[in-house]
Amino acid sequence: MMSIHINNVRKNFGNFSALNDISLEIPPGELVALLGPSGCGKTTLLRIIAGLESPDSGSISFNGEDATQRHVKERQVGFVFQHYALFRHMTVFENVAFGLRVRPKATRPSDAEIDRRVHELLDLVQLDWLGDRFPPQLSGGQRQRIALARALAVEPKVLLLDEPFGALDAKVRKELRRWLRRLHDELHITSVFVTHDQEEALEVADRVVVMDKGKIEQIGTPGDVYDNPATPFVYQFLGNVNLFHSRVHAGFARIGELEVGVPGHADTQDTPALAYIRPHDIDIQRQGNKDTLKVKVSDIHAIGPIVRLELEQGDSSEIIEAELTRERFGELNLVRGEEVFIRPRKLRVFLQ
Amino acid sequence: MNLNLQPKHTVLPGFTPALGFTIFYLSLIVLIPLSAAFLKTSLLTWDAFWATVTAPRVMASYRLSFGAAFIGAAINAVFGLLVAWVLVRYKFPGKRIIDALVDLPFALPTAVAGIALTAVYAPNGWLGSILEPHGIKVAFTPLGVVVALTFIGLPFVVRTVQPVLEDLEAEAEEAAVSLGANRWQTFTKIIFPAIAPALLTGFSLAFARAIGEYGSVIFIAGNMPMISEITPLLIITKLEQYDYAGATAIAVVMLVISFVLLLIINGLQWWNAKRNGSIK
Repeated sequence: MMSIHINNVRKNFGNFSALNDISLEIPPGELVALLGPSGCGKTTLLRIIAGLESPDSGSISFNGEDATQRHVKERQVGFVFQHYALFRHMTVFENVAFGLRVRPKATRPSDAEIDRRVHELLDLVQLDWLGDRFPPQLSGGQRQRIALARALAVEPKVLLLDEPFGALDAKVRKELRRWLRRLHDELHITSVFVTHDQEEALEVADRVVVMDKGKIEQIGTPGDVYDNPATPFVYQFLGNVNLFHSRVHAGFARIGELEVGVPGHADTQDTPALAYIRPHDIDIQRQGNKDTLKVKVSDIHAIGPIVRLELEQGDSSEIIEAELTRERFGELNLVRGEEVFIRPRKLRVFLQ
Repeated sequence: MNLNLQPKHTVLPGFTPALGFTIFYLSLIVLIPLSAAFLKTSLLTWDAFWATVTAPRVMASYRLSFGAAFIGAAINAVFGLLVAWVLVRYKFPGKRIIDALVDLPFALPTAVAGIALTAVYAPNGWLGSILEPHGIKVAFTPLGVVVALTFIGLPFVVRTVQPVLEDLEAEAEEAAVSLGANRWQTFTKIIFPAIAPALLTGFSLAFARAIGEYGSVIFIAGNMPMISEITPLLIITKLEQYDYAGATAIAVVMLVISFVLLLIINGLQWWNAKRNGSIK
């Protein structure tokens, strides 16, 4: 199994700094997600690992061996593209066999061996029955699985996937990412995939690398980055948030009339801060007290198991989002336009 | 029983008038003039017709016309592809000028092309004087015909291949390389199959144009009977002798051969598309 070390990599496109001094270590056998908004440099980083792009400075090493100058075709990486990049004029079988057929004579397997290997891979992606078809005749999900089988055919040491499910519809996407996770658990091949979908990254990856504007914001397990976001960006990127401008003073954050205790800030004196509250950390009450904020219910979206509320604070036009379970919603019996009180259960402040 | 004779409903409007106009237009511009040629030919008896179109001089001209057109189109397929490749894949100063140069054979009056080519390739011309001592005669030989037909056919290949090459997915090539293919394998197995249909179209356009070419060829060919006489020239010769039926007879044969050849190329195109699964 292969480990990947990325050391101080920089890459500029003209004046645009796509990667700004990135260092990252990917342990052998892990499934790592590069997560970030579009333009954050995640795809560029993946392409540099693959050798499809070369860094302006810095180095890449595989298992401690410097591979920065190594050509793509010698890196033994399997690359899966967002738009599949299947060879349209070849059957599914020939697509998968391609990596074996282009080997030099000395290392090329026999036709019978190629046949056996391709069928094995098509079995692995559960599409053996499609061997004679051409790519345009397949659905998106099938194409992406074939692309994966094709990448695996060359027995890569590293598997790189660029937004592998980005072009698929929501349902197929969910299925495929579970399937990718299971496949990884079977093969244990060091894998890196790029995504802008936090749900996908948190669900599939062993480790998530959150990136923004060419820099790494945080590296950690999905639980880590979700529960203990290191920066406001990570907090905002991983799920819905409500943002409040507040002042932190002697262990308390003040939002309007409301005071909430924030551990770890006992010595902070009257400092402006951004306070973040996730919609599901907001409690709704009928009775107000000093720990609550008065709001008006401006909209109710009661679809699915979670009921989403849009709340308005009297003086500001900003909307506060809250989520509560259907049971709780039933108990409260809320209607649009009425006034209620909210209490944040959990709040995260970042001093400014 | 519900017999539905209505055309299938589609969101594209005006199927019936559009089809009607297409047929009317094709008839007016293409079919009616061509059928006039067939009508005129029918003035001849079958024996006279056969004698006219199989005369040794005429047979020699078919060989030259179709042979030289085929060779010219084949040369264009190779070098036109190269030109298109360079224009699409590389950035260099003067690229726009070269791009515009490609269209020149389209715009130039064919007679001008013929005179220019003759001047250059004649035994005392720029290139002719260099080639002559090596025993290569271009002007006033079948080779000259090939040169002229190559000249006029170039834009067809370049202009049909160029857009396809531009639209080629870079990712497919990257995928091939990441799977271990070298440059040659990437070209032959990935790029070439993708541009082959366009290349074939360009080839057939260049070929068709070359078969009918007259202006640029007659100056450089020398027009020696049995050697460097093209079929269109024979037709003109017959017309000048007021042998209208004889001229149209040869024209009809050319027409039929050209049509069959183009039909074969189209069939090849269709077969290729079907094999690649782009037609279900």
